[in-house]
Amino acid sequence: VSEALHVVFKLGGSDYALSAGDVLHMESFEGATPVPGAPAHVAGLVQIRRRVVPVVDLRRRFGLPEQPATLQSRVVVVQHRERTVGLLVDSAREVVQIHPDQLRPPPEVIAQQAEGYVRQVAQVGDRLLMLIDVDKVIGEDTGDGR
Amino acid sequence: MSERVNLAEFLTGFLAEAEEHLGSSRRHLLTLEVHAAKGEAQPKRVRELFRSLHTLKGLAAMIGIDPIVALAHEMETVLRGADGLGGRLELTAVERLIEGLGAIEQRVRALEAGRAVEPAPEALLHALASLEPAGGGRGHAAVKVALAEEIFEKLTESEKEQLALGVASGRTAIQLDFSPSTERAQAGITITSVRARLAEVAETVRVFPRAVPPSPEAPTGLSFVLIALTDHPVEEVATQVGVEGVRALAAQVPEPPLPLSSEPEAELAELAPTGRNTVRVEVSRLDDALEKLSALVVTRFRLARAAAELSAKGADTRELSATLVEASRQLRDLRAAIMRARMVRVSELLERLPLLVRGLSRATGKPVRLEMNAGRAELDKAVGERLFPAIVHLVRNAVDHGLEPGAERDRAGKPLEGRVEVSCTEHNNNQLELRISDDGRGVDAAAVARRAQVAEVADDAALLDLLARPGFSTREVADHTSGRGVGMDVVSRIVRRLGGALELFNRPGEGATFVVRVPLSITIVDAFTFVAGGQPFAIPVGAVEEIVEVHAERLVEGPCPRSEGARGRLFERRGEAVPLFSLVELLRLNGASDGHKALLVRLQGEPFAFAVDKVVGQQEVVVRPLEDPLVRVPGVTGTTDLGDGKPTLVVDLLALGARLSKAPKEVPQ
Repeated sequence: VSEALHVVFKLGGSDYALSAGDVLHMESFEGATPVPGAPAHVAGLVQIRRRVVPVVDLRRRFGLPEQPATLQSRVVVVQHRERTVGLLVDSAREVVQIHPDQLRPPPEVIAQQAEGYVRQVAQVGDRLLMLIDVDKVIGEDTGDGR
Repeated sequence: MSERVNLAEFLTGFLAEAEEHLGSSRRHLLTLEVHAAKGEAQPKRVRELFRSLHTLKGLAAMIGIDPIVALAHEMETVLRGADGLGGRLELTAVERLIEGLGAIEQRVRALEAGRAVEPAPEALLHALASLEPAGGGRGHAAVKVALAEEIFEKLTESEKEQLALGVASGRTAIQLDFSPSTERAQAGITITSVRARLAEVAETVRVFPRAVPPSPEAPTGLSFVLIALTDHPVEEVATQVGVEGVRALAAQVPEPPLPLSSEPEAELAELAPTGRNTVRVEVSRLDDALEKLSALVVTRFRLARAAAELSAKGADTRELSATLVEASRQLRDLRAAIMRARMVRVSELLERLPLLVRGLSRATGKPVRLEMNAGRAELDKAVGERLFPAIVHLVRNAVDHGLEPGAERDRAGKPLEGRVEVSCTEHNNNQLELRISDDGRGVDAAAVARRAQVAEVADDAALLDLLARPGFSTREVADHTSGRGVGMDVVSRIVRRLGGALELFNRPGEGATFVVRVPLSITIVDAFTFVAGGQPFAIPVGAVEEIVEVHAERLVEGPCPRSEGARGRLFERRGEAVPLFSLVELLRLNGASDGHKALLVRLQGEPFAFAVDKVVGQQEVVVRPLEDPLVRVPGVTGTTDLGDGKPTLVVDLLALGARLSKAPKEVPQ
């Protein structure tokens, strides 16, 4: 077992991470086309590298207060199973190596509060990174409520 | 399996070709069954079936799928016997052959799905072998061809015989070893080309792969052995085929030639290039071409924009405009040409149904007549492949649960033979409509309601919603009281993913009809672009009956006590009362709609109008389907790029209208 590369992003002052293997690329955010009837946490559609990708607004998904996009805002495009979905985050500029020893499950109370979106917590130096559960975050919930 | 070689790269080709031969074999067998029942001989069909199976066998042998080789071989032997009897086949023989084909198909599907291929069922092989007519002219030739033991063992009895007879009649048995490599492939030399060239100068007896230690000669560790008979000198064969490694196999001929008992030349003609004017193209290549065309269409939009800007600055752009119009037309033609290449006949798609129904009929003991009417309708291959499992589900349900057992039909005064009908019509709106109906008992709405624990089922749409609930079906498997339900959630999901719609017309006691509406293709359409709530949208021109002017002072507002969702108003149009909905309200867009324009659509004869801010224009757009579940919403079929690099939604007002008219409570939340 060796170290694995992770992409770190910021959201509401906290650091989150996800496996670099899940990330296709990162793009700046210049607004998305809203999709009427889609779940509330879907910011809309963006066209990235000639591909149309739905974007999940992670602030809305995680229940954080809304905040207008800035120049630092990034769409982290993840490839998960057969889906390609963008995650809108406050910023994303860092990549770290995480050794499995640095990972532990989140404290029970936090896990419950986070509704499963946080899979593990990594301690890197004096920082705590929350590893998100990509599967859960991009969910399969369809817009028409079926 | 003693050999482990990587044949993945040959698999795609095999699957495509196998599909073709499975299809024709199915057709031949079903026809043969009808004739066998009447005791009629069908010499031509027997031979055609023989050829299909022979080719299948050859293909399977080439990639080393021994179970398929064994099955096809035994089936061939039965047919050779029948051919000797002037094309006469017993009904029991047809039965076994159908089972054999089923077993082959199962193995092809396993290959396709990347699963392990099961060995050929011994009992079936034995049953087929025991069908051989006695004394069927299987004289053993006393000629021995010097083949390596391991190769000789791979040959079937009839192949050994074929070799022996060939040598006995003065031909030369040859062995060619061919190892594929990247360099050879780049030079155009592949196993396929070698096989084709060899077939021009020799009669191929057998082709099979084997694992060899990797060497400069065989870098992939894979080598094909081709055994053939030829009238030409070995050197000539080598020159013709363009590879080294051709050698004659020494043979001892102790006796004068034996008479030929079969026609190997005719059989093997199949292995030679057919000369048909077709090429097989992987769909992904056509997709690639379409993708590139899409880019070209976007570029043209940009050009048109630039031209408009120039024109606005007072430049003379007449010639440029004319060229742009010309480019438009050419793009349209090119798109049509590519789309045509992707289309397959719906009748081809439905080809597998008769055998499915036959099997279902056997399993349930219900006589079934399947009527198919697909006309000349065509469907994009990708759409067809995705849709087919849904059709299978619906047909299976119709036989399993729709049709009553004989006694019940008798009591209801229906003919004993149940009827299942699959028909399709192409709609002008780039839609294909497939209807799957049966004359069975229909869906027992009350039983469904009980199962779903709801008080009552308002109409067929509500009934279908219940049936399509995930998990509803599984509880149905054990009892048939509610008539339907197996996999309806799967059907519904498949259809929705394709951007289509599913409808049910239930006739209790008389049968049920499921209507599937899917887009013919994923495509470029002529569209109106409009703005609603400040957001641009596109809608296919074909979906809009007309663009109408609405004047606020002429709108009638009816009562609307439950003030949720969008409220409809009315206006008069050519003697018709037309309901009008604000798209801004309906789609919960920001901003108010202040326009006077509305798009009029007609849904099953009923008009609906949707108010928008303004209509911008008309242009061709490339529609990309929305596939991710997060954004798969009713009323939105896909997105397009109008040239600004941002996705613009392509809406389906018909679907929105359908939702409004069926379930007012279900307006998008």
